[in-house]
Amino acid sequence: MDLVFFKIALVLYLGASIAYLIFLLLSSEGRAPLGFWLAIAGFAAHSLSILHRAIFSGYWPLAGPFDVLSVFAWMVMGIFFLLLYKVPSPILGSMAAPIASVLMLYGATWSYQIREPLVPVLKSFWLPIHVILAIAGNSIFALTAIGGCMYMLQEKLIKSKRIGRFHRLLPSLETLDKINRHGLPFGFFLLTLGIITGALWAGSVWGSYWSWDPKETWSLITWFAYAAMVHQRVVLGWRGKKAAMLAIFGFGLVMFTFVGVSALLGGHHAFEPQTGMMKPGM
Amino acid sequence: MEILVVGLNHSTAPVSIRERITFPGNESGDVARLMTLVEGVEEAIILSTCNRGEVIAMTGEPEGTAENIASTIAHLHNLEPDAIREFLYFKNGPDAVRHVFRVASSLDSMVLGEPQILGQVKEGYRRAARAGATGPILNRLLHRAFFTAKRVRSETGVGKAAVSVAYAAVKLAKKILGDLRDKRILLIGAGEMAELSARHLNTQLEEPIVVVNRSYENACTLARSLCGKAMPMEHMETGLVGADVVITSTGSCEPIITRNYFKKVMRQRRSRPIFIIDIALPRDVEPEVNDIDGVYLYNIDDLQGVVEENLGGRREEAGRAENIVAEEVIKFIEWTRTLDVAPTIVALKEKLEKIREGELSRLNGKLSSLGPEEREAVEIITRSIINKIAHDPIVFLKKVGSLSKTRFYLDTAQRLFKLGGAQDETSNGVEEPYHE
Repeated sequence: MDLVFFKIALVLYLGASIAYLIFLLLSSEGRAPLGFWLAIAGFAAHSLSILHRAIFSGYWPLAGPFDVLSVFAWMVMGIFFLLLYKVPSPILGSMAAPIASVLMLYGATWSYQIREPLVPVLKSFWLPIHVILAIAGNSIFALTAIGGCMYMLQEKLIKSKRIGRFHRLLPSLETLDKINRHGLPFGFFLLTLGIITGALWAGSVWGSYWSWDPKETWSLITWFAYAAMVHQRVVLGWRGKKAAMLAIFGFGLVMFTFVGVSALLGGHHAFEPQTGMMKPGM
Repeated sequence: MEILVVGLNHSTAPVSIRERITFPGNESGDVARLMTLVEGVEEAIILSTCNRGEVIAMTGEPEGTAENIASTIAHLHNLEPDAIREFLYFKNGPDAVRHVFRVASSLDSMVLGEPQILGQVKEGYRRAARAGATGPILNRLLHRAFFTAKRVRSETGVGKAAVSVAYAAVKLAKKILGDLRDKRILLIGAGEMAELSARHLNTQLEEPIVVVNRSYENACTLARSLCGKAMPMEHMETGLVGADVVITSTGSCEPIITRNYFKKVMRQRRSRPIFIIDIALPRDVEPEVNDIDGVYLYNIDDLQGVVEENLGGRREEAGRAENIVAEEVIKFIEWTRTLDVAPTIVALKEKLEKIREGELSRLNGKLSSLGPEEREAVEIITRSIINKIAHDPIVFLKKVGSLSKTRFYLDTAQRLFKLGGAQDETSNGVEEPYHE
């Protein structure tokens, strides 16, 4: 199978990452548009790649880690562009583009073959609903964490009175806090839906909604962590630095649940090393 | 002939003096007209903004005229000349021209590069021109000033980022609080510096400023002038809880805001971020307050540091702007030199001679059939024609040298014949007094 679009997208994302990195190091506004256009081109190629995978497999291209990571990266970039529309700060790209690149590189270490026939579990209509909701939630958390990192940096610069170029490149604290304020509850909402649809899917194929599989357990832990954060944020009025730290910590947990659990703990969400296919059952 | 500038601005005079020198009654340029009646003054323009008040004048005899202008400024405002003498600057010749160009280009503003000043200069000129207080020299000077300002704005980055403490404070406030429109300012103490910063911030806000002061009466006065509200000192805590930007400038010897006190305030604020600007000396706010989460405390030195940082890139721009001004000053001074009787006559003669030679060489083909004698005759005839034409204007110009409106006639003559300096200007060579 041809991965030409995937490869083009990856190269463009890496190019965008480098352009954004140069932009950061030199603080030269002139470099930012280059990164942006590379990222846009990468996103276009990436969209074609996903479309191509969908047509090729004749189904939602979400069955293996290669595709899931690819869609994850695609969503991170997509939300980044949406966010860029609201917060016109090129510095966001210097974090989104590398994250997308890393996700795709990690995906590329897995086999992109789709073993035919697909196990029946994966032929369910729950697959796209569950996976897309879960990944969308993760992408939101990723960008919220990026916003958190930028908040911590900007806050440190302002507190220590280092008002230089870097300070000017970063968005205002208020804007960054707004990303957090909207990102946490929205991501939490998607995560909740992801878990519920997962349970419904499990219920429809295995007859049991919840089986304490490691991924499920960690998802629940993540869910509780975010529930606590949203509570702190909305009810106790936590904001600023504390909220930013929570977002970063939360995303660490998300990434562990998403990548670490499958790799370390196994379970029915885990992928078989040889084929990269989901294990068929419990 | 000389250009004079007499006046005061934010760097030479304190607010208490500046706010008195406002040239009342100049709405239709009458005061500018009055200035032209001062002994020695031929043309005058009055420039009055909240940061400066000055008279730009053209004089035939520089001796003593500046002094006369200074006394007139004082008398206009019911002041003794000696009371304002020390705050005035006197500029003449190229210095005065440079000053006018720098003012119009916003290089002399308190907020470097701020855009309003050009409009204010234009307004001052328009009033004077309407009242007939300006003549060819100041018309030319001001048009060159507008041209210089336009060049500075389009060719340098000076206008892009105004640099000053107040401006830096506003920018910083935006980086912390985002959009300032719905944010609230609290002024603690009614000092002059605090008022200045507050005025600058006030342009960004829709909420009224709250003023707290030990003397409630002073608080009310300041609040009224800022269109804000006053609160007695006992309600400072309420003010601190409600505010987003706080400017303190009390004369207190002890800090009035301590770390423990402000921790309590922050709890009531539910950690809403707050930007505190402490411009008092000794400080009103304990430096440790900056360690509290969500509090961003800057004192005047910190802000000065920010300005320096901003200046880094702008200094170069300002330098380039100064070069443009210097260039334009030289051009203007060169033009004023041509505006004298002798150079005008020379230029007129040269122009006619050039026309004569040009026409002769154009007809060279047709004249080739003529013998040397006949050619000689043609030369003589043409030369005598131009001499006859030039005779009356030259006699007139020589007589003009002793008239009071010398410059006007010289300028008119130069325009009529499109001589020298009049040529590089507008396409038809005619400058109307400024209208907009």
